[in-house]
Amino acid sequence: MSTARVIQLRQLLREKIPQARLGLDELTARPLNSWATGIAQLDDSLHGGLPRGALTEIIAPQRSSGSALLRNALVARAAAERQIVAYIDGHDSLDVTALEPAVVERLLWVRCRTAEEALKAGDLILRDRNVPLVILDLVSNPTMELRRIGATTWFRFQRILEMGSTVCVVLTPEPRVSPAQARITIRPQRRNLAALDRESVELISELKLEVSDARRLQETNEQLQSLA
Amino acid sequence: MDTFAAIFVPDFALQAVLRQEAESCSKSIALVDPSLPKPNIIQLTSPARAQGVIEGLTASQAMARSAELRILSRSLAQEQAAMDILLQTAYAFSPSIENSAPGVCTLELKGLGLDGESALQDWAAQIVAALETLSLRVRIGVASTPSLALLAAKAARPTLIVRDVDAFVSALPVDVLEPSPSILDILERWGVQTIGELLNLGRTELADRLGPEIVSLLRRLSPHASRPLKLVAPRQTFAEQVEFEVEIETAEPLLFVLRRFVEQLARRLDVIHLVVAQLHLQLKLGSGAVYEHHFRIPAPTADVNTLFRTLQTHLESVRTETAIVGLTLEATPCLPQTHQFGLFETTLRDPNQFAETLACLTALCGSDRVGTPVVASTHRPDVFSLRSPQFDAQASGAAHVDAAIGLALRRFRPAIPATVEFRGERPALLRSSSVNGAVVEVRGPYRSSGDWWDRQVWTREEWDVQTADGTLCRIFRTGTECFVEGVYD
Repeated sequence: MSTARVIQLRQLLREKIPQARLGLDELTARPLNSWATGIAQLDDSLHGGLPRGALTEIIAPQRSSGSALLRNALVARAAAERQIVAYIDGHDSLDVTALEPAVVERLLWVRCRTAEEALKAGDLILRDRNVPLVILDLVSNPTMELRRIGATTWFRFQRILEMGSTVCVVLTPEPRVSPAQARITIRPQRRNLAALDRESVELISELKLEVSDARRLQETNEQLQSLA
Repeated sequence: MDTFAAIFVPDFALQAVLRQEAESCSKSIALVDPSLPKPNIIQLTSPARAQGVIEGLTASQAMARSAELRILSRSLAQEQAAMDILLQTAYAFSPSIENSAPGVCTLELKGLGLDGESALQDWAAQIVAALETLSLRVRIGVASTPSLALLAAKAARPTLIVRDVDAFVSALPVDVLEPSPSILDILERWGVQTIGELLNLGRTELADRLGPEIVSLLRRLSPHASRPLKLVAPRQTFAEQVEFEVEIETAEPLLFVLRRFVEQLARRLDVIHLVVAQLHLQLKLGSGAVYEHHFRIPAPTADVNTLFRTLQTHLESVRTETAIVGLTLEATPCLPQTHQFGLFETTLRDPNQFAETLACLTALCGSDRVGTPVVASTHRPDVFSLRSPQFDAQASGAAHVDAAIGLALRRFRPAIPATVEFRGERPALLRSSSVNGAVVEVRGPYRSSGDWWDRQVWTREEWDVQTADGTLCRIFRTGTECFVEGVYD
């Protein structure tokens, strides 16, 4: 078996059985438990992809910034891997007619009316632990609704996620999810109607993404402390 | 030599009624048959007997002897369920069974390979234990004929294997032969108490004095008077039913009874190595109406908690117009399905948990707002329905997903009414509660229409526009009214 295959198998085992000890080498260089999105910008910045068993926040401060484009790319990627995706639609805004049939058949769509309803639905799905990718979309919800969400809600979500390997992505118009391990901010970018004719992959590659990964920061701090 | 076993349920009618409340056996309870012209007590528990209550008393006479006495009515439905349990359990231990009488099942042991007394004892003890878990206390007798096996079962505590027929028969009291009252009276006057004493009088002499009845009774005691069993296959019905004495108005007592029903059904199926594939719940209401619901168990199971949660989650959102007076729960069994998960598999890990979560989501958001979307085959925009997700049926491996084109649309449902100023055919200014501003770039109009052949006819003109603040959106006009359909994002 080639080295690459061995590494791939080990990574797979690590994702499925996080408690397993797979060798002494991982004590020195332990890659993070991530889900590769297939979007180079994200996977490179997040050292492999979106964190499993943790919250990821995607912030889209402006309309037409590309948050739905990014969301559809994540859903399509998961569907291509035949993963089940739960999409909790905070304001019932998904345009399903634009999705590929292969994507639609792996999708659990929860059409919520308010952010509060969406959070309750999110809580139920995260506790279920059957769905490997959960997307909670609050971009279209009124700001007043989002401001009523207590920080404890997100910490509770984080505690639930820590017990499994679910990838949970929360889309918001402003920073809200304080315990998020990864935070992706889509910087405003003006487009014109010609963007409607271009391939999504091309448009995604042009997104101006600011990525921060709390996991790496935490690891670096731990290393510095041990050196001191 | 053939060998038979008889399973005997003492006080069958009473046990059938008390099966759902096993703890009541230690209480003072008597059973009356309301279908009789004079509804006297027909069976009773030992605490009631200890307080002086006996069979044949009227309810008021019995109550006079015991203030704590609880009087219950005989239930034919409960007896049928108990008989089903008896036969289904017996069938798991022998393929040749006979429904001999209410509360009596006879089994043929030929071909079961039960050689030796210890093997027979173990086998009988397993049946007793299996029926004990189903709240039926039984006695089992094993002998060379069905009649002797039944006599042995009645004398068993709880099992008895008859090896020496003469010794066994001799010690039995004469009333186990169930002679007519006139013969019993004669035997009492003779001072004959056991069958041994009776046989000592001589068969020919007894026939001369007491006639052909005693001959036929004594023939039952012969180890050579065997008969073929009338073989039956047990009904494949697994149902529990109760008619409440007091109407139920809240979920709590209903769930309490349902939990017991689920436990009973799960145990019944477990004994015969089956699991629950579907549940059918029927609530009989005071108004005479019946509320029914079918539950498909995604991953068939006999786990009580899983089955009960399925019912509980559903009942939490059920409101009935009148109180509940009766309850029936029926299980459809199937063979257990085993499934080994693979590393690369992407199906649901726990389909039952997922089904429960879906039920909770449906209760939270509504049945039309949770599921997998199915896009309708029409050009009318945004027409779809939601179906229950079926992720189990999917094949594993990578799927082909075509690359998407353009930005995604975030829809407003319903579309937001807008005021649009046109310059010629081109929108120039857009005002709405969501998107406002001068239109700087336009594409369209894209005209579409459909369903002109029925009342749902629709026609619209659509534009993709960019406002001065950079927002890309889709607007449309139908008739004279304009709307913002969504924002490209």
